[in-house]
Amino acid sequence: MTKSQKKIAKKILFYIMLALVIIYLLFPFYWAIVSSLKSEAQLSMTPATLIPRDPDTGEISIFTRNYRAIFANGGFIRGLINSTIVATATTILALITGSFAAFALGKLRFKGKAPALYTILAMTMFPQVTVLSGLYAVITALNLSARVSMIFTYLLFTLPFTTWVLTSFFRDLPDEIMQSAQVDGATPFQTFHMILLPLTAPALVTTGLLSFIQAWNEYLFALTFTSIDPGARTVPVAIQFFSGEFARQEPFGEIMAAAVMVTVPIVVLVLIFQKRIVAGLTAGAVKG
Amino acid sequence: MAISSSSNLANEEQKLALKLLLPAFLILIIIALYPLGQVFYTSFTDKEFASGSETNFVGLDNYQALLSVSIKELEPVIDDETGEQAIDEASGERVYQSPIRVLPRDPHLYRPSFEFSFFGNRYVVGARTPDFIRSVWNTLLFTFFSVFFETLLGLIVALVVNSEFKGRGGMRAVMLVPWAVITVVSAKMWEWMFEPTRAGLFNMLGDRFGLIDGSFAFLSNTSLQMPAIIAVDVWKTTPFMALLILAGLQMVPAELYEAAEVDGASKLRQFFSITLPLLKPSLAVALIFRTLDALRVFDVFQVMLSQKRYSMASFNYFQLISARQMGMASAIGVIIFIIIFAFAILYMKSLGVDTE
Repeated sequence: MTKSQKKIAKKILFYIMLALVIIYLLFPFYWAIVSSLKSEAQLSMTPATLIPRDPDTGEISIFTRNYRAIFANGGFIRGLINSTIVATATTILALITGSFAAFALGKLRFKGKAPALYTILAMTMFPQVTVLSGLYAVITALNLSARVSMIFTYLLFTLPFTTWVLTSFFRDLPDEIMQSAQVDGATPFQTFHMILLPLTAPALVTTGLLSFIQAWNEYLFALTFTSIDPGARTVPVAIQFFSGEFARQEPFGEIMAAAVMVTVPIVVLVLIFQKRIVAGLTAGAVKG
Repeated sequence: MAISSSSNLANEEQKLALKLLLPAFLILIIIALYPLGQVFYTSFTDKEFASGSETNFVGLDNYQALLSVSIKELEPVIDDETGEQAIDEASGERVYQSPIRVLPRDPHLYRPSFEFSFFGNRYVVGARTPDFIRSVWNTLLFTFFSVFFETLLGLIVALVVNSEFKGRGGMRAVMLVPWAVITVVSAKMWEWMFEPTRAGLFNMLGDRFGLIDGSFAFLSNTSLQMPAIIAVDVWKTTPFMALLILAGLQMVPAELYEAAEVDGASKLRQFFSITLPLLKPSLAVALIFRTLDALRVFDVFQVMLSQKRYSMASFNYFQLISARQMGMASAIGVIIFIIIFAFAILYMKSLGVDTE
C-alpha cells in the first residue's frame, strides 16, 4: 500500500468510527420519534419497521394522534407546568443563596473557610435517598404542599452544586477588582453585587441552566412527595404513570410522544448554550 | 493605627463572610443535617410509615436483620443409579441439595440470597433480608460495569470528537443529546426497545441477523436484567464522561505530539505514552464522580424493574413507601450513606481542596 492509499484507508476507518458513534448516540432518540409517529397497530407490527409503515400496504404512513392525545391528557400538561414551576423556583433560590456563599468562599478571607469548602464539596456527593424518610418527616412537620416540598428539597443537590461551581468562578476573578473597589470606598458587599455579580453573569447562566436540568430530571423525591397529591406530579412522574387513551397495558406510542416533547426543549437549550454547559460541567468536576 | 484598621477590615470581612454563608448553611441544615439525624435515630426504632402504631426502640435489630448473612456449603445430590452427582435433565446443570435445608432457621429464618461456586464447591449465601443483600450486590455490579463501559466509550467518543474533521462543532452537539434526555424518559425509551416481541427493536434486529429467536424478554429474564439496565445507563452517561475526558484531552500540549511525530512514534505509542498518562487526573475525577453517582442509582431500576430487582436506593424506596417500614428504610439509608461516604472521603483525599 502506498502512503496516500494508507492515508485514505485511515480516513475511511475514521469516518466509519464517527458514523458508529453518531448512530449509537442518536439512534435511541430516533427510535422514540419513529415510535411516537406509529399507531397502536403499527407499534405491534412484527417485525418492527424503521419508519412508520402501514400494516397492510407497507407504505409510509404517519400517525399524529399520539401527540394530540398527550396534549388532551390533563396529566401531561399539568406535569409540564409543575416541572417548570418547581425547576425554576429551586434554581432561583439556589442561585441567590449559592452566589452569596460562593462569594464568601471564593473571595473573602475568614476563619473556617476550609471546613466550609469541604462541607459544600461533601454535600455535592450527598446520597439523596438516605434522607428520604427524614425529609418526609420534616415536610409533614412543616405541613408543606407537594410543590413547595419539591422546590425546597431540590436545594439538597442544586445548592451545593451552584455554590461549588460559582466559587471556582469567583476565585478566578482578579483580586485587583476588589482591591480597587475597596480603595474607592466600596464595602465588600457593594463590591459583590455592583461589580462582581455582573461579571459572573455568564457563570450564573451556566449554573442556573445546569441546576434547572437537574431539577427537571429529578425522580426520587418527586415520586415520593407527590404520592399523596397526584396533581403536583412533575413530568418524569407523570410519564411513568401514563395511562393512555386507546391503551393496552402501556401506551408506548403516547409515552414516546411525551418523551419527544419533553426532550426537545432541553436539547434546544443545550444546543444554544452548548459551550457554556460544557464549561460549567467541567468546572464543577475538574476544578478542585 | 494602620494595624488596627487592617484588623478591623479583616474582622469585617470575617463577619460579612459568615453572614453570606448563613442562608446556604441554614438551608442545608434543615434539608440535610436534621433529616440525617432523624434517619439515624429512626434506624434504631421499629417506626412504621403513616401509621398510628406505637414506635419502640429496638437497638441494632434493623441492622442485624439487614446485614446478617450466613454462607453454607451445599452438598451435591448423588444419583442412586450411577453413584455420581445428579444432573438436571432440563438445564444440564449439576444438582445440589436445596439451600433451605442447610440455612439456619432459629431464632431467625435465613432465606437464600444467591449461590456461587468456588473451587468446585457450591455455596449458598443466606440472609434474613435476602432482597437487601441482593440489592447491594446488584448496585455494586451495576456500578462496576456501567462505569467501566462508560469510561471506555467516553474515551472513544472523546478521541473521535477531538480529532480534526469537518462538522466537529455539530458532533459536539450530537454528543450532548443522550445527556439531555431525562433519565426516566431514557429508561422508557429503552424499555420500549427491549420489548419482548419482534415489535421491540432488539428482538427485531436480533431476529433479522439470525442471532436470537425474536422473543427475548430482556427485562423479565433474570440473567438479562442487569446487562439491559447497564446498557441504558451507559448510553445516558457516556456523554458526561466524554465531556470530562475531552476537557482533559484539550489540556495536552500539541507540541508533545509534534515531538513524538518527529521521533517516529506510532499513533498507538503516542496514545499510551502521552495521551493516557496526561489524561490520568481528569480520568480519575470523572471515574470518582460517576462511581458515586452510580452507587445512588434509582431511576433506571425503579422504572424498568421496579420490584423485580432492586438497587440499594430502590429497595430503600420500596421499604419506605410500599412496605411502610420506616425504621428499616432508615437503617438502609444509613448503610447507603456509610458506603457512599467512604467513597467520597477517598475522593476528597485523592484530590484535595484548594482553599486559597
